[in-house]
Formats: sequence, structure tokens, C-alpha cells
Amino acid sequence: MLNIRRFGDLAAFGGVMVALTLNAAPALADGVLEGLHHHPTLASTITDNGDLNPYAVVVAPASVGKIRQGDVLVDNFNNLSNLQGTGGTIVDYNPSTRSMSLFAKLPQNLPQCPGGIGLTTAMTMLTSGWVIVGSTPSADGTTTTKGQGCMLVFDANGQLATVWSGSHINGPWGNMAVVDNGSKATLFVSMSGYDLPGPDKHDPATGQPVIVEKATVLRIQLAIPPGGLPKVTSQTVIASGFAQRADKDVFLIGPTGLALIGSTLYVSDAVQNRIVAIPDALTRTGSAGTGRTVTKGGMLQRPLALAATGNGHILACNGKNGQVVEFDPESGKQLAAQWVDSNQAQSPPGNGDLFGLAMAPDGVGFYYVEDDTNMLAKATP
Amino acid sequence: MTSATDPRATRRGFLTATAGLAALAGAGLPPSAAKTASIADPTVEPFFGRHQGGIVTPAQAHTYIAAFDLAPTAKRGDIETLLRRWTAAAAALSVGKPVEIPAEGAAAAEADPSDVLGLSPSRLTLTFGFGPGLFEKDGADRYGLRAQKPKAFVDMPHFPGDQLVPARTGGDLLAQACADNPQVAFHAVRQLARLAYGVAGIRWVQAGFASDYGKATPRNLMGFKDGTGNPAIGDPREMDAFVWAGDEAPLWMRGGSYLVIRRARIALEHWDRMSVGFQEQTFGRRKLSGAPLGGKNEFDPIDLDAKDANGDPLIPENSHVRIAHETSMAGAKVLRRSYSYNDGANITAERWPPWRQGMEFDAGLIFICYQRDLAAGFINIFQKMSRFDMMNQFVTNVGGAHFAVPAGAAEGEFIGQRLFEAAS
Repeated sequence: MLNIRRFGDLAAFGGVMVALTLNAAPALADGVLEGLHHHPTLASTITDNGDLNPYAVVVAPASVGKIRQGDVLVDNFNNLSNLQGTGGTIVDYNPSTRSMSLFAKLPQNLPQCPGGIGLTTAMTMLTSGWVIVGSTPSADGTTTTKGQGCMLVFDANGQLATVWSGSHINGPWGNMAVVDNGSKATLFVSMSGYDLPGPDKHDPATGQPVIVEKATVLRIQLAIPPGGLPKVTSQTVIASGFAQRADKDVFLIGPTGLALIGSTLYVSDAVQNRIVAIPDALTRTGSAGTGRTVTKGGMLQRPLALAATGNGHILACNGKNGQVVEFDPESGKQLAAQWVDSNQAQSPPGNGDLFGLAMAPDGVGFYYVEDDTNMLAKATP
Repeated sequence: MTSATDPRATRRGFLTATAGLAALAGAGLPPSAAKTASIADPTVEPFFGRHQGGIVTPAQAHTYIAAFDLAPTAKRGDIETLLRRWTAAAAALSVGKPVEIPAEGAAAAEADPSDVLGLSPSRLTLTFGFGPGLFEKDGADRYGLRAQKPKAFVDMPHFPGDQLVPARTGGDLLAQACADNPQVAFHAVRQLARLAYGVAGIRWVQAGFASDYGKATPRNLMGFKDGTGNPAIGDPREMDAFVWAGDEAPLWMRGGSYLVIRRARIALEHWDRMSVGFQEQTFGRRKLSGAPLGGKNEFDPIDLDAKDANGDPLIPENSHVRIAHETSMAGAKVLRRSYSYNDGANITAERWPPWRQGMEFDAGLIFICYQRDLAAGFINIFQKMSRFDMMNQFVTNVGGAHFAVPAGAAEGEFIGQRLFEAAS
């Protein structure tokens, strides 16, 4: 990663917007981004088997097995050939020792997971120690050979415990929103794989790969008996009809980030470049469709992972530049954007670099990954 | 690494005229003929010696590298014969004499194709190396040499970002020609390949160039000075510590060195679109002066602790210079002797966002380095560099090989003779 995040450097680049604060309503709490100024890289996320392209970022909520509370788990979507949808490793970064270790490694193919293994941003760790991660696999690095995928459950020592698949699971993709009560948990997972063709099937009207409006958000309810495997007690599609499309460069674009505030689930609708709200997400029995638009365009440039800041705001990282955008979901106001990856090797800087992010447990700062350099980084005061 | 005196001040015509006459007469000369060449001739580099040529020899302007695979039918005796012939040929070529080529079949072909007739020896050096396959292949000790494989001659791990193409990777034997004239270099390898017919076939070849910058540090294709910070060739202690295999190595290897070659393709189209400021951040040096960021002149000390007004490091944390300097400070040093290459254009897909695809120059760096110990040298340095160096987003290693380059031969001896004697 680059340390060229000073205002002057970026301004000199021309035409790029820099950490800019819009008219925030005075009643709002201070923005998170304005207190963050440095972006040190912490560790390489590349594993010994050569897996690349870090996706999910998860902060461990508890110390169980190999994992210490506050560790940062990151998975890889690509294998050593840099083919997308083929990565099968999860690494564990310990902030106190600053060491990165392998947490789990899967073979390329697993009979229980239709299509193979390609670990996505849909990852979480429960306080009971279970690590749950989605797979959206491919054989050739494109959606032409995309499999339906699955959800994989690891114990806290990185051993695969069980695999979930079925008609509700197809291309588990973006970061999860989770309510974890110990013996019970609710997971929200975006599914961006339904009927997705290869990237060469173009829409003549746009010249882009065809858009398929079949992506969903699935709510999975779990019962976790003491010492036992988490058990799926219900699966409910609470949102559906989101746009998704294949992409030669970034594999697929579809609903990605999820953040739960109260009972409202916020979803980044990457194709439409907007954030939507799904009301009554914890309790609704049916789909809310694509919900209500909260904010669209502006500083958003293909929003990917979302993270609730703890003060009522949400951070969204952009796919098409290296900025993280802070917005107030209540008012729909975009408050600020900050370059967390200003790598000028891409145009605009950081284009294609960001994906997963997670608030740091200290409440200030957040962790994020950089696909350009395969690094875990942190935004700090 | 370029010599202070212009190595290309040649005496065209004199030596080559005699060479040509010899060639026309079909007269092959024994290796001891090298002795008769004038040592003072600035176009001639010595062939025999404690170390092989082409390692500490001031870099010639061109290289032509060939890696060979041994034929499945080749016997140990065939390889010894080949090395004996290669040694004789190399000694002759380096003084501008033609190569003795044994007649093939009834109709004896011309001994030397004469294409360099009229050219000087051009400071030709030929450097020979042994790949892992000479000692062991697929678990088989094909030639009874396995026990002689040096411990320091370890396998290369996979490095992050490696996209090594098998057709540009590995090899059982290496012959590297370096010369100030590209045709002389190619001519030499062409003769060696001819001598290998039936015993070893070409696996890959690679041409490279290194322009003469006079006394200045040469620049690479990215426009930056490259090569500052090599071990001092004139300091025997440093060379023994970092470059030459010592008592830890088998007898035949002492005075030799382990060679790593990487064909590093550079996305020049991508690089050329970057601002100079960003390029400098990537390298950690100023482009024109070569000064480390925060310094004024090329050889100013590198201050890794210097901070900018925002409190961020002046030399970015993943810049090339910082990583190179940190590994060097930690005691890892290799002798670099790289060449640039330029092999036309072909369709490629860059491996970083935004994943540019299309016809691009197949050009970059033939990274070449020598070291006493592979694990402590290149592997140690590149484990870090391949993970963290900002330059990685412009560079992809698409080929590579490593060789044990044995000690030089004394007159009357052939390259690697001590290996075969030790294993007999």
C-alpha cells in the first residue's frame, strides 16, 4: 500500500475528490472518518500455497481454539494462479504479536460444496467459536464455470465441521450482518449467483454483460447448542430482485455489503450504485423486494462491503476507487469520503482494490483489505 | 558495474581475421590455444581461472542465455564429453577463434558458420551452470551425481505473484554468453548448442541488453537507476562472504556461485501512465538523480525513519528501496548482474486492478543474481519483496531458473571436471 494520502498529492493527481465533508446535520454525532488519518499496512494476506485476493475481514468476538479475541480473519478468493473463485484459505492476524498465520485451508473441490471452493466476503465468527464462510466457486476464474456454492462452517481450530447448501444458497457474496446471542444467531447473507451467465454474454443495449435481477438477501437462523454444531432452524429470503451481472475483471457485481441497525438491514446494491434499506429484517416473513433507496450516487462508486460504525453511521467501501464513504442511514446524507487506498497504479486511484472492511474493536478505526497488494490494512487516528 | 574504461574500444579486424582463416581451414584448436591470445587485448576476457567469467566481469552490453535439458538417452560419459567440448569451444570463442565441431555423418559440415568473421571477440564470456536435473530428476539419480549436490543448492519455492511458464523455466544445463556485440553472443551459444546435439537440447533461450552508461549507474526500462548497492567486487572478503561458495560446499563448487535468473515482465504501458511522483514513491528514489527520497544525491544514506509532515514515512513503507535496504541491513546480499529484455509484443492480462488486457510489450528485466547461499540470498530477499514491494504491481515473473555455477576451470581442465571426478 501507498502512503500517498496527503491532500496535496491527491489534488495534484487531478479530478479526484479528496476526504471531503458535506453539510452534515448539526444534530449528528461526529463522523468516524474525520478522526482517521493514517493507513498503515499490517500484514500480507498471501498464504504459503499462494492464494491471493483478500476479501472478507472479520474481527474475532471471542477467544476460542486458535483464535484470540480481536484477531482479524481474512479469506482469499483467488488461488496462486490468480483465478477468481478458486481461493480456499483463511488467515488470522493477531494485532498484539503482529503475526499472520494460516487458520484454515480447503481443497479446490469439496463434494458437499457444488462447484468447488472460492471463499467470498460472506464470512463471520460467532462467539461460540464457529467460523462461517461463503463459497462462490469457479473452475476457470470467470462466472462461465460458476458453481452454486455453499456456506462452510469451521470450528475454532480451522477444521471444517459442516457445509450448508441448497436452493436458498447461490453465490453467497457480500459481508454478513449478524446478531449473535450465543445459543442463537441470525445471519444475513447476500446471494449474487442465481442464473448468472459468463461475462461474454452481453446486453446489446449497453454493451455490458447482461444484468440478471435475481439476487437475494437470505436470513439464516441458527441454534447453537453448547459444544455442538450450529444448526439451521430457518432460512427466509427477506429481499430479492437485486441486479447482478458477471464481470471479466471483478468476477461478478451484485448486492454485497450488509449492515444491521436496529431492525433495519442496509444493503449495498452495487450495480445500481446505491444503498437500500430492508425494514423489519429480523422478523419479516417474506421478501421486501429491493427495499427503499437510502442514498444513491454522490460519493458512492459501486459500494461493496458495509460496516455499522456504532454511532449510527455506516461505512461503505467503493469498488471503483479507493475511498470509504460514511453516510447517515437515517437521513440518507453522505457525510464524508476518505482515500484509504490511493494507489495511483489504478485509475482512479485504488480502483478495484477495496472489498471487505470491519470496525476495529477499539471503536476508532477500521480494518480493510487491499486487493492490489494483498494486504490487510487499518485506518487509524 | 560498467567498466570505467570503455570496453567497446575494439581492435576490429586483427584477431578476427586470423580467426576467419582458421575457420576456413576447418582447423579446430585445442583449449590451450587460449593461452596464445594477448591478455592485454581489451576485447578479450580471460576464460580460465579460479572463477568462471561473466560473474564479476564488468557487464558486457549483451547477453544470450540458453538453458538445456539433457536428452533421455544421454549417459554420464556423454555429459562429460559435452562439457569437455564446451570448455574447449568457450576458450576458443573467447579469443575469437572458431569452434572445433566434430563431423556429423559422411559429409562433414562447415566447422564454424563464419557469421562473426570480421568481428572482434567483443569481450565474450561464457558461463556454465548445472541445474537441479543434473543431480536428480523425478527422484532418479540419473548420472550418479546426487551425492554431490550442494546443500545450499535448494529448490525454489513458489513466490507470490509468480506466473512461471514451464517453457521459460528450469533446465539441466546453462550456458550464458555475454559480449559487447549481440551477434558474437548468439554465435557462441549457437555453437555450444550444436556441440550438444543428441546429448542436450534447448529448453529456453533469452537475449538481453545492458547499455553502457559510462561511469553512471545504469537505468532500467522503468527509467530508474538500478544496481546501486551491490557487494563490492573489489573486496575479496565481501565476495567470499556473499558470492563465492566456500568450505561449506563440495570441493568442485568452491569458488563457484549459485545463480538465480528470473524473467520479470514489466507492464511498461501501465508504468508509462504513472506520474513521476508516484513512480518515485514506488521506487523510493528520485528518478533523475537516483537519490533516496529525503536525500539529494544517489549515494546519500537511506533514512528509513524520516517522516513527512503528516507523520508518514518519507520512504513509503512498501517502496522497493525500503524493502531492499531492510533486507540488506539484515545481512542478505546478492551480486546482481541483470539485463533488460525486449521480445516484441503479445496479448497479456495484467494481474492487478484494473486488470488491463491486450497487446502489450513483452519487455522487462532478466534479473540475474549470484550468491553463496540461495536460502540466505535470493530466496530470503524475494520472500519479502514478492509480498510487499509496490513495484510488484508492474512486474510479473514469467520465467526463472537456478543453477549451480561451478568454479572456473584451470587450463587443461574442463568446467565441472572436479564434480565428475568426485562422483566417480
